[in-house]
Amino acid sequence: MEIFLQLLITGILVGSIYALVALGWTLIYKCSGVLNLAMGELTLIGAYVCLTLYHWGIPFIFALLLTLLIGFILGILTEVLFLRPMVGEPVLTVIMVTVGLAFFFKGLVMLVWGTDTVVFSPPVFPMQPIFIGKIVIGQVFLWAFVASLVLLVAFVSFFKFTKWGLSMQATADDEMAALSLGVNAKVVYALAWAIAFMAAGVGGTLLGNINGLNISVGYLGLLVLPAVVLGGLNSIPGAIVGGLIIGILQNLADGYLSRYTPGGVKDVFPFAVMVIILLFKPYGLWGWVRIERV
Amino acid sequence: MSYRPCGVYHQFYRQDHAWWQTKFVWGKMIFLGIFIFVLFPKFAGMYLISVANVVGYTILSAMGVQLLIGYCGQITLGHAAFLAMGAYTCTLLMLQLHIPYPIAMIFGGVVGGIWSVLFGLPSARVKGFYLIMTTMAAQFLTVEFFITQYVSQIGGRGVAFSIPPGTVKIGPWMIRNDLDVYYLMAILVVIFTFIMANLGRSKIGRAWIAIRDNDIAAETMGVNIVYYKLLAFFVAGFFGGIAGAFWVTSLAAVSPEHFHFGWSLWLVGVILIGGVGNIHGVIFGSLFMTLIPEGLKFFIFILTQNPFFVNIMPFLPLLLEKFLFVKEAAFGLAIVLFLIYEPNGLSYRWWQIKNYFNLWPFSY
Repeated sequence: MEIFLQLLITGILVGSIYALVALGWTLIYKCSGVLNLAMGELTLIGAYVCLTLYHWGIPFIFALLLTLLIGFILGILTEVLFLRPMVGEPVLTVIMVTVGLAFFFKGLVMLVWGTDTVVFSPPVFPMQPIFIGKIVIGQVFLWAFVASLVLLVAFVSFFKFTKWGLSMQATADDEMAALSLGVNAKVVYALAWAIAFMAAGVGGTLLGNINGLNISVGYLGLLVLPAVVLGGLNSIPGAIVGGLIIGILQNLADGYLSRYTPGGVKDVFPFAVMVIILLFKPYGLWGWVRIERV
Repeated sequence: MSYRPCGVYHQFYRQDHAWWQTKFVWGKMIFLGIFIFVLFPKFAGMYLISVANVVGYTILSAMGVQLLIGYCGQITLGHAAFLAMGAYTCTLLMLQLHIPYPIAMIFGGVVGGIWSVLFGLPSARVKGFYLIMTTMAAQFLTVEFFITQYVSQIGGRGVAFSIPPGTVKIGPWMIRNDLDVYYLMAILVVIFTFIMANLGRSKIGRAWIAIRDNDIAAETMGVNIVYYKLLAFFVAGFFGGIAGAFWVTSLAAVSPEHFHFGWSLWLVGVILIGGVGNIHGVIFGSLFMTLIPEGLKFFIFILTQNPFFVNIMPFLPLLLEKFLFVKEAAFGLAIVLFLIYEPNGLSYRWWQIKNYFNLWPFSY
């Protein structure tokens, strides 16, 4: 039972990071209909920027805030330079643009920062674990959970209560109606990318704190896809719950299934789950059901 | 189809359907054949031959991707999985059961095809983005899990299967060096192009194109969508399996790193740059994607040899050292720019140039 609880809690803590990145992904999809396959590279860029700033001697909190700012600028730049010319093109063409962007960003990251694993030194969070009953939790996980929770709440309240958030919701719901009511769609698209970049950057930074930072952190961006498919592509609560569930499932699979296989279950289990969801419930938990007979 | 030159008239349907319609095209094709099979291997050095092998491998691998994306409209981001299945089946049959290479290669193709159908099955229910997710899952489940963790354990050889020299032979023809690989590659490319071109203009190809353009309309016209989609997956997987089995010849050892996710994406990029829905697209894309980075590398190398340029641009040696990453970034940028500025790819440009000369000087 302790093992189960331990795995469950670790899963929730890691899943909250996935939820944060998945939120950014869903946002882009909701607002502009772009299915973004470059999410992993966005996390990489954010993480490396934060690491560089931290190593320059800037305190972690400020480094994180600066990362958010840089992510904001990069997100707007990406949207304006690469995605805006593609507005109105077929969905699959736009997906391929994001694949191209993924290669571009990854190449740049490896060119600038190399491929070796780097760690945040000195460590940002204290190393001593916390004991709750018999369950051991690393402080890194706990702080990552807190940070992603804070950001999730911040982003969600941004949508609910600010003018820009409301206009983003309106665009996502019905673009034509939103345009006729005076919502500036260009700003909304750019804002969606900016927020996705920011969320991904923070997610990458937190993951980099847990395991050290190398190119495989970008793999997180692919784990986001099972999460959003599970939650339904265009549902923000779906993305959050999907991220948490994927985190939990991944840890449970690691704990219970890895003794039956030579290894590697942890990495592929979310994808196996995704295939099963796609076969039986392709619109996820709360996605819009569009009945398209194939 | 391109326009015929001025003054060429057809009297029979046979002439209308011929691949090579004029004497000039015949001459051009025969020259191309002589160039590929005689002149190039005779005069090119070992370096050019090895580059040509990479081009050929890219053509062979991208052919299946072109079939799925360009002809049938089913986006696949996991084609390297099918290549890997083909390569591993072929290698295992050769090493464990000592089956001759050509038979093992065909088995590799069949296994690749069946594997592809397995992951194509969701295409009966979902399409578009959801299908992309499935093929991506195919990549991770196959290469990262199934092959790395299970298949590589067979025979206890460790993760990489090394192939002893002399294992790969077709009848009495032993495939030992790059030149032999080149000939095998050239033969396979010709066969693949022939099959692909003729599939494209048969009933099957028309059904695929109908599904790509409008699947609902295709179904109303009586095309069995599920059957033809799965057939497309099978043929694409078969091509992939053969391509993987071919590449075994030029690898000293088969290991999962040769079939990573990046290679799947690379293949999709190749056909996007070459042109979607067009056999020329595969060939132009492969040439472009292999020769441009090689040329770029050569150019940077020459620049680093000259101290003058190194003084101006001190980052040059570093650039050469990290050329792999430069290549990746340039490739990504190329895809994006092609999609924005030339969405029809290189083959469309080629078509325009050809028609310009065919119709010259009376372009209307």
